[in-house]
Amino acid sequence: MKPIVLFFRLFVWFSWRYFMKHRVRALIVIAGIALGASVFTSVRLSIHASLESFSRSIDLITGRSDAVLSLPGGRVPEDILPAILRQPQVRHASALMTTYVKTTGDDADSFLLIGFDPFSDRPFRRWQVQPTDLAQDSSWLGLITDPFTLLLSEALARRNGWQVGDKVTLVHDRENTVFRVLGVLKPEGLGLAEGGQVALTDMATFQEFSGLPGVVDRIDLMLTRAASDIDLEALRRQFADLLPPGVQITSPSGAKESGRTMIRAYQLNLSVLSFASLFVGMFLVYSLVALNAASRRHELAVMRATGASGNLIFVLFLAEGALLGAGGWLAAIPLSALVVKYMLHGVSQTISTLFVRVHVDTIILEPWELLLSFAVTVLISLLAALQPAREAMLVEAGEALTTSRLQRSRKDTIGKLAVVSLLLIAVAVPLSRLPGYAGIPLAGYVAILSLFAGFALLAPWSLQRFGAALSPKLHRLAGVPAYLAGRYVRDSGTRTAISVGALITAVSLFTALVIMIHSFRETVQLWVYQTVSGDLFATGKMSAVNQFRDSIPDRVREGLQQLTAPVEPVHSRRFVLKSGDFSYELDLLDLEAFLRYGQFIWVAGEPATVQPRLIDGEGVLISEVFANRTGLAVGDRYLAQVQQSVVDLPVLGIVRDYRTKGGVVFYDRSAFTRSYVDPSWSTVRLFFRERPENLETALAALRREIIDRCGSHLDLIAGEELRGAILRVFDETFAVTFVLLLIALSIAALGITTTLAVQVLERLTQFNTLVAVGAAVRQIRATVFWEALLLIVAGEIAGLLCGFMLSYLLIFVVNVQSFGWTFIYSVNWKALAASLPLIVGTALLAALPAIRLIFKQPPAMLLRDR
Amino acid sequence: MSMNSPVTEQSLLIFAHQLTRIYPMGRTDVIGINRLDLQITTGEMVVLKGDSGSGKSTLLSLLAGLDRPTGGQLTVAGVDLAAATESVLTRYRRSVIGMVFQNFNLLPTLSVMENACLPALLAGLAHHQAMVRAEDLLRWLGLDHRKDHLPAQLSGGEMQRTAIARALINEPQIILADEPTGNLDSRSGETVIELLAELNRSRQRTVIIATHSNLADATATRLIRLKDGEITGLA
Ligand SMILES: Nc1ncnc2c1ncn2[C@@H]1O[C@H](COP(=O)(O)OP(=O)(O)OP(=O)(O)O)[C@@H](O)[C@H]1O
Ligand SMILES: [Mg+2]
Repeated sequence: MKPIVLFFRLFVWFSWRYFMKHRVRALIVIAGIALGASVFTSVRLSIHASLESFSRSIDLITGRSDAVLSLPGGRVPEDILPAILRQPQVRHASALMTTYVKTTGDDADSFLLIGFDPFSDRPFRRWQVQPTDLAQDSSWLGLITDPFTLLLSEALARRNGWQVGDKVTLVHDRENTVFRVLGVLKPEGLGLAEGGQVALTDMATFQEFSGLPGVVDRIDLMLTRAASDIDLEALRRQFADLLPPGVQITSPSGAKESGRTMIRAYQLNLSVLSFASLFVGMFLVYSLVALNAASRRHELAVMRATGASGNLIFVLFLAEGALLGAGGWLAAIPLSALVVKYMLHGVSQTISTLFVRVHVDTIILEPWELLLSFAVTVLISLLAALQPAREAMLVEAGEALTTSRLQRSRKDTIGKLAVVSLLLIAVAVPLSRLPGYAGIPLAGYVAILSLFAGFALLAPWSLQRFGAALSPKLHRLAGVPAYLAGRYVRDSGTRTAISVGALITAVSLFTALVIMIHSFRETVQLWVYQTVSGDLFATGKMSAVNQFRDSIPDRVREGLQQLTAPVEPVHSRRFVLKSGDFSYELDLLDLEAFLRYGQFIWVAGEPATVQPRLIDGEGVLISEVFANRTGLAVGDRYLAQVQQSVVDLPVLGIVRDYRTKGGVVFYDRSAFTRSYVDPSWSTVRLFFRERPENLETALAALRREIIDRCGSHLDLIAGEELRGAILRVFDETFAVTFVLLLIALSIAALGITTTLAVQVLERLTQFNTLVAVGAAVRQIRATVFWEALLLIVAGEIAGLLCGFMLSYLLIFVVNVQSFGWTFIYSVNWKALAASLPLIVGTALLAALPAIRLIFKQPPAMLLRDR
Repeated sequence: MSMNSPVTEQSLLIFAHQLTRIYPMGRTDVIGINRLDLQITTGEMVVLKGDSGSGKSTLLSLLAGLDRPTGGQLTVAGVDLAAATESVLTRYRRSVIGMVFQNFNLLPTLSVMENACLPALLAGLAHHQAMVRAEDLLRWLGLDHRKDHLPAQLSGGEMQRTAIARALINEPQIILADEPTGNLDSRSGETVIELLAELNRSRQRTVIIATHSNLADATATRLIRLKDGEITGLA
C-alpha cells in the first residue's frame, strides 16, 4: 500500500506538475491519441453493432429450431411435412418462406415478407399482435381465414404510416398484389427481425403471391429432447428414405456462422486500419516521453542522488506514457460519440453491400469493446514510453554533480538501430508468405507492423545520411540557414528521427492505400466493362435483393423471345449455394453468345483453348475468390448439389470476379440443361448486334418494345447505368477507409507540430546565442524552416518507399487472405504526384507554430539562466 | 550493512586505501583521484581544498556512492562501496549520505517542503512523519515562511538552505557538500557554512566540504589539500 501511495505522490510531484507546466504539448499528444482511439473504438463498435444486429435478426428468424430442411438452389416440396411430423424424433415442424418485397413507388425500401403457418409456428418463434381498437390479441387468426392479409412490424407501420385496416400494395417479381393490414406486431421476437423491417403472412397467401405453389423455402424442426442429442449425421441417415433427392438437413446456426465469418474478415481489416491511427499516435507519445526524459536528465540524476532507485524512475516514465494513453482514451469517449455516427452508417452500409443485409440504428456500448480500446490505447502508449523510460532509468546519479548539461551523442546506437530496422524490413518478406489462418492474415499484419517499425527505426540513420549528403549542396543553393539545417538534421539523433516515424507511417499508409484502391478500382472497372458487359439487363422485379433466386415467369419470357429489335440475348440463372460455410453463386449463362460480346479476365488457364471447351460444357470456370476459398485449382473437380442433381465437373480456368457476397462458378446454361435440369433463367442481358449510332435512342426503343410485350414486370437497367452503380458502390465502400486515412494523416501532422516545437524550445538558448553573435532573426527562422522541410521530405521519401512495399502486402497478402481476391497492380502516379506535395505543404503548415515560437519572448529574457 | 552500529566518538567512518578513479578518455586516461589513502572518523569536519581539476568533486562523488572507484578500497560506514550493488548504493545514498551541491539541484516541480521530504519518502518514511521532520528542519533553517514556494521563487541562499534540509531529512551520518557557497554571495555563503558547522558541533554529524573559499577554514577540524588527485598536505 505504502509504496503505491509513495509512487503516486512522486508521480504527481515529478511528472504531473511537469505535464501541467507544459500543458500544450501534453494536450496535443493526448488529442492525437484521442483521435486514434476514437477511430479505433467507433470502428469496432460499429462493426460490433452490425454483427449483433445480424446475429440477432438471424436468431429471431431461426427461433428455437434444432434442424432445418432445405434444398440447395431450390425449394422443398410442402407435402413431405405430414410424414416428417409422424417421425418420433420430431416434436414440431414448421414451414417457412421469405422474400424481400417493397411497396410501389420508386424510393420505397424493401422489407422482409415471411410466409408461415401461424399455428405450427407458435412453438418456434415469439410474436404477438398489439391490441388496439381495431385489432385484438387474436387478430392473427385472420391471417388464415382472410387471404392476402398481413401483420406488420411496428417499425414498418410507423415508417410507412400504415394502420390496421389499410390496403397496401406489394411488389414482387410476378405481380403487384394488394394486402390488407390485420394488425401490428409488438416490438418483440419476430417483430424485431431485420431491424424491424418485417411483415408476416399466411403460407398459402405467400405461395399464391409469389407464384410458387406446393413448395417452401425451408422446414424448421424441433426435436424431442432425446433427439436433440442426436447429431445431424444420424438424423440424416434416419430421414434418408423420407426426403426427396437433394433435400438436406442442416444446423440452423450455419447461416449465422458463415455470415459472421465474412463480417469478421472485414472487421479485422478495418480494425487494423483504424489501429494504424493509434500506431501513428504512438510516435507522439514516444516523442513527448523521450523529450521529458532527455530534458530532465539533470533532475533525474538528482532524484537518483537523493535515493530514488532506477526502477522507480523507469516506472515513473512508463506511467507518463500510461497517463497519456489513458488521457487520450478518456478524451476519445466523447469524440467517439461523434465519429461513431458517421462510422455506423458507413460500416453497416458496406457490410450490407458486401456481405449480408444488416439494419443498425443503435450503438450498443459494449463494455468489452470499451475495455479493449482502453487496453490497446494504454498498451501502445506504454510501449511507446518503454525506450525513453529505459534511457531515463540509466541516468547515473553522478550526473547530478556536473554543471554542464551537454548530452553525449551516441553514434553506435544509430548504427545498431539501422541494423535492427533493416532486419525488421527484411523479415516482412518471409512473414508475408505464411498462410493465413481462418481468413485472418495474421502473419500479413505482423509483416506490416514489422515494416512500419523497420522504416521508423531506420529514420535516424537515413536522416544522418540525408543531412550529410545535402548540407554542402544546400549551402551553395540556399545559404547558411539551409546549411545549418542540414547539419542539424544530420546530427539530430535518435529521438527527433524516430518522431519522424509518425510521418513515415502515415505517408506510407497513404501511398499504399492510394495504390491499393487504385489497383482495385482499375481492375474492377476492367471487370465491369468486360464481364458485366451488355447493353440492357432485364431481371424480375425484386430479383436482385432476393439474390436472383427465381426464374422469370413464363409469360414474360415468351414476350422477350418475340423481340424484333436487333439484339442478342444472353440468359443467365444463378443459384446461391454453399461450399462448407462459404456461400457462392453458380452462374449458368449462355457462354457462346456471352463470349462473342464480353470477356473474362483470366488468372489461370489458356483462354484460347479453354473457351471452346467451356462452350461445350466440358467444365466450369471458377472465380479467384472461389479458388482461394475452397483451394480448388485448374484440373481439380468442382462438386455441388444443385436441387436434385449432383454436379461434378473439372475446373478449366480461374478468372477475376468482384461480385460481392462470395465467389462464383460459371458454367454453360444449355450444357447444364442437357446434363441436369433446365434451370430456366432469371436475368437476360441484351447486346446490340451492331453498335447503334445513337445508343440512347436505341435503348429507349428497346425498353419500349419490352414493356409493350411483357408489361412492367421486369426491372430494366442499361448496362452503362449498372456499371456506374457498381463503381459507385465500390467508391462508397472506401469512404470509411478514406476517413480513417485522413485521421491518420492529421495525427501525423500533430506529430510534426510537437516534434518541431520541442526542437525549437530545446534550442532557444542556442538560438539566442546565435543572435548574440550576429545572426539575424530571419536567418534563424529560415534555419528552422529548412529543418522542417528536410525532415518532412526525408519522412516522405521513406514513407513512399515503405508505402510501395506495403501496397504489395495489402494486395497480394491481406486481400487474398481476407477476401480471396487480388488486383492487377497499378500505381496512380498522377494522384501520388499531386498529393505528396500537398502533404509536404500541410506538414509545413503544421511546422508553423514551431517557427513562430522562436523569439516569442525577447532574446535577452531567455538568456537568463533557468 | 552495519549502518545502525552505535556511533562512538572515535570510530572509523571512512576508510580509503589506494583509492583511484581514472576517466578513460579515448587513448589517454584522465586522473580524477590517484592512489589516495584517507581515514576519517565520526564527528570530523573536513575541508577539501585544491585547484580546479584537482579531484575534489571526484572524491566527493566516490564517497557519496554516485560514482565507483576504478581501483583501491573504499569503505564508508561499513559499506564496501567498491563492491556494492546498485541497490545497496541506492540504500546507502538514502540513509548514510546527505548531499549538498554547488548548483542546489532542487527539483523545479517540487515545493521547498516537498524537496525536503523527498529523500525520506524514498527511504520509506510515512508522509506525515516526513512532514514533521521537514517542518523542524525548515524552521531551524529559517525557511518556514517559504515552505510552499517553488525553487524558482527562492533566492540562492534559500535554495541552498532547502538543499541542506533535503540533505538532513534522513538524519545521515555524513554530509557531503561540493562548493556549497560557489553560487552564493558572501553573506549567504557564511550562513551556509555556519549551519554546516553547527550540524557538526551540536548534532555530531561528519561534514566534508569541498571548496575554494576560506570561509570554512576556521571551523574545520581537518584541512586536506589535493593536487592532481593526490593528497599534498594536511592541516
Ligand atoms: N566525467 C568525467 N570524464 C572525464 N574526466 C573527468 C570527469 N569528471 C572529472 N574529470 C576530470 O577529473 C579531474 C578531476 O576533476 P574534478 O571535477 O574532481 O575536479 P575539482 O577539484 O572538483 O575541480 P573544480 O574545483 O573545478 O570543481 C579533472 O581533470 C577533470 O577533467
Ligand atoms: Mg568540483
